Amino acid sequence: MVSTAKARVLVGLFVAALGVILLRVFDPATAGIFPPCPLHYLTGWYCPGCGSLRAMHALLHGNLQQAWAMNPLTIMLLPFVAYGLASELLGVVRGRGLPQPVLPASYIRALCGVIVLFGIVRNLPLYPFSLLAPGAMLHL
Amino acid sequence: MFCPQCGASNADTAAVCVQCGRNLQPGVPVVPLPVTGVVMPPPGTPVQNYLVFAILTTVFCCLPAGIPAIIYAAQVNGKLQAGDFAGAKAASDSAKMWCWVAFGLGLAAILFWVLIAGVGMLKQMSH
Repeated sequence: MVSTAKARVLVGLFVAALGVILLRVFDPATAGIFPPCPLHYLTGWYCPGCGSLRAMHALLHGNLQQAWAMNPLTIMLLPFVAYGLASELLGVVRGRGLPQPVLPASYIRALCGVIVLFGIVRNLPLYPFSLLAPGAMLHL
Repeated sequence: MFCPQCGASNADTAAVCVQCGRNLQPGVPVVPLPVTGVVMPPPGTPVQNYLVFAILTTVFCCLPAGIPAIIYAAQVNGKLQAGDFAGAKAASDSAKMWCWVAFGLGLAAILFWVLIAGVGMLKQMSH
């Protein structure tokens, strides 16, 4: 009998593996099989996450420079998110996650501010902020 | 004695907990100390803040609906630090709800896009 939590993890792992394979094989910039960012599609503005799929694609091909140019925020947050997800996974599999310090609320608010600010600033047509638009750093 | 807030072992004469700084003397009103550093959660009372999922939806999946989830995640930790576990639980539920809202909106956007792309492909084929 598989518990619902374990079943959920299995489904999650399956979807994640599928995503990794698709992202490794297809380039989100040209393939057209990945959905575009809804905000960018509707308004033309970049959101804080725009370029993250292309960044993951570049990372899966070992190209850190291109990944960074697509979305530096995604790359910076990736280790923390990977740690958190690994902790969730271990929590279900062995009943105990990884040690997780409770971050002070001010840290999380600051992170929230950074994300929102990053989303605004990368839309400015002003050097050097314009470098934060997806891929702009590749054309220095 | 053991600290009622974080469970850390303290000397019986200790005025404040060595780990979380909670006042251990009876009769003295408990004033939550402003905590500036990183504190460990009390064992046995995990309150999820869903921060990882909020960041995942916001930054990795391009869904700005994750922003309220991050704000509620901050509230969870702020209330945990102040010792307000009921408030932390309520904020945790809100954070969870916003994560699902972000997820649902994202799923709806993907389905909408698949529909549009499918219709476009059919039109091309009929020409």
